[in-house]
Amino acid sequence: MGGLIAIYRKELGDYFSSYRFVILFALIAMVSFITSYIAAISLRESIAQDAMRGRFLFLMLFSTEGARFSMIQFVAFFGPLIGLFLGFDAINRERAHGTLVKMVSQPIYRDAVINGKFLAGVTVITVMIVAIVLVISGFGLTLLGVVPEVEEILRIAVYVVISIFYISFWLGVSILFSILFRSTATSALASVAAWILLSFVIFFGASAVANAVAPVDQRGGGDMETLMRNVQITETVSLFSPMVLYTNSTATIVDPKVKTTKSFILQGPWEQILSTRFQNPLSLSQSLVVVIPHLISLVAITFICFAVSYTVFMVQEIKM
Amino acid sequence: MKKKRDGLRLPTGMVLFVFALWAVLLFPGGAMGDEKEKKDLPPRAIEVAPEYTGVIVPVGDDVSVDLTVANKGRKDEFIDLSLTQIPEGWTARIKTYSFDVTGVYLGSDKSKSLTLKAEPKEGTGPGKYTFGIQGRTQDGELVSNSKVTITTTAKVEEKKAKGVNLNTSYPVLQGPTDAKFEFSVEVENKTDKDSIFNLSAAGPANWELNFKPAYEDKFISSLRLKERQSQSVALEVKPYLMAEAGNYPITVKVSSPDARAEAELTVVLTGTYKMDIGTPTGLLSLTAMRGEPSNVSFYVKNSGSAVQNNLRFMSVKPENWKVEFKPEKIETLPPGETKQIEMTVSPAAQALVGDYSLNVMAEGERTNKNLEFRVSVKASSVWGWIGIGIIVLVLLGLVGLFVYVGRR
Repeated sequence: MGGLIAIYRKELGDYFSSYRFVILFALIAMVSFITSYIAAISLRESIAQDAMRGRFLFLMLFSTEGARFSMIQFVAFFGPLIGLFLGFDAINRERAHGTLVKMVSQPIYRDAVINGKFLAGVTVITVMIVAIVLVISGFGLTLLGVVPEVEEILRIAVYVVISIFYISFWLGVSILFSILFRSTATSALASVAAWILLSFVIFFGASAVANAVAPVDQRGGGDMETLMRNVQITETVSLFSPMVLYTNSTATIVDPKVKTTKSFILQGPWEQILSTRFQNPLSLSQSLVVVIPHLISLVAITFICFAVSYTVFMVQEIKM
Repeated sequence: MKKKRDGLRLPTGMVLFVFALWAVLLFPGGAMGDEKEKKDLPPRAIEVAPEYTGVIVPVGDDVSVDLTVANKGRKDEFIDLSLTQIPEGWTARIKTYSFDVTGVYLGSDKSKSLTLKAEPKEGTGPGKYTFGIQGRTQDGELVSNSKVTITTTAKVEEKKAKGVNLNTSYPVLQGPTDAKFEFSVEVENKTDKDSIFNLSAAGPANWELNFKPAYEDKFISSLRLKERQSQSVALEVKPYLMAEAGNYPITVKVSSPDARAEAELTVVLTGTYKMDIGTPTGLLSLTAMRGEPSNVSFYVKNSGSAVQNNLRFMSVKPENWKVEFKPEKIETLPPGETKQIEMTVSPAAQALVGDYSLNVMAEGERTNKNLEFRVSVKASSVWGWIGIGIIVLVLLGLVGLFVYVGRR
């Protein structure tokens, strides 16, 4: 246990003192601030226009699109980069410098190395996310003059937790690559490639699969069933992307008016009329129930990814 | 005409008549003729003649018959008039407009109109009564007699009651209890006098009955009608709100000092059709898990005064939802009664969570009522627990991994 704490402390110190981290943190923090600042400005204008928005104004600080994207979308796109940068050379740099052998020759267990590194990464991520969210909330308080409700605070807390897991997943992925590949350049490239693949390319793959299985006439027309099938397949395939899991779940958590994670739903005309009769926001528990599969998947892949890294690292030969 | 009667009355006038006829034919009108006629008058001639020698009147009525007293001679005459015969039970006199007359002065070829007024005494029965009238010059040379026969007949009883008439084209009106009924009644004055008629109407207790002039908005209780005039009057009827359905007679009376009439009108109440619908607690929201039935009960109350038949329940609901009522319909619901309905709502299994509007309609034969429920559809948290179970399993696996491959 002492070994784990020692490595954890050392790693934290390394992270916070490295230029790489400072630059990355500054970049992400800055973009987040700018985004939510613009969002706050436009929100303030729209409050003046209609007082009806009323509830959950504070949450809109995170979900309103500022300059082209909202704070949430920004974290969904570029949050993984934090995880990747934190972990892509976690093991193989030690190995390249020959410090790994020295380390394991100390009276510490081998698993303390990987656990410590991962935990330190998660801590850094947590500090970053919490710091950004708190600063944006502070902004919001000044700019909007709205005090958040208890439910809003809870929703933001859930959002923070989901974000930590999401970025931790990418940390796990990059640590895995750093274990698998000897060269730091290779593991960095592999990590970025995985990120691009799972965050962007997968959409093309999803629509390709969907069009192959249930072809839809692109010029419109075609029956509703095929279209629905096509959309369903696209969405199912997209669920392989952690970014989709993350975007869907945070969008539902942060915006209480979102009732489903699906982008297309088939609704009868009466259903549509009668459901828009009361424009009530969902309660937090209902929002959670809606996105619980996404949350479970996200948490599970994070753990599984770490477990795989752990296993690979533990069975690997070190003295090479 | 006068000359003709002269001829009939007086034998001496016979020649005169022929002569006069000839004279009229020969000289039709003109001063010339008159002068000639005057010249041709006999030295002395008088005549007393009634306008009608026989009249028929109802028992008890006074009779007035005009009398013409004429001097047909060239000499001016003083004529005494007397009634030679007055039947039993009558009083009679000869009079002018203002006083009784016993004698009259007439210049040559002049005549005078007088009136024979005969009044029956109380209790004079029907029969034939002859009155004799005599005119004679003061010197007693000339006498003229005539007779008037009065036949009295038994009085027709109705005649007086028929002094006023009430007519209505629509004596029966039908409608719901909360409606206002307006009867149009025509009041006709059949007597020869102007009268004020009192209007009154009698209906069931607590009903409001008011007379109004046609097309005017004020209430009246009497009406002035000239002789032989008629006017229509509206009778506005407001039924008692709690009155039950049925037939209600209303009697309309018109009366003046010497005439009265009644008419019977009928209002047929069909009752009011009113319904109240709501939940016992007043709560109009319910929570339902998607795909699972959820119960709510509401009541239907017949707050009208008519029996409602065949109450059915319908719902406006999102597609794929199931809404069932128990009972599905109510055959009869008497006024004032309440019935409880159980409603089972099952949202579609794929329904999105959130609040939906669910409209329930109770439809009777004459009325319907809406009730809007807010159905909060919730997803069951079973999957949430399963998910947490999965996470726990993964964590256990991780711990197992730590134990299995760790501590190297």
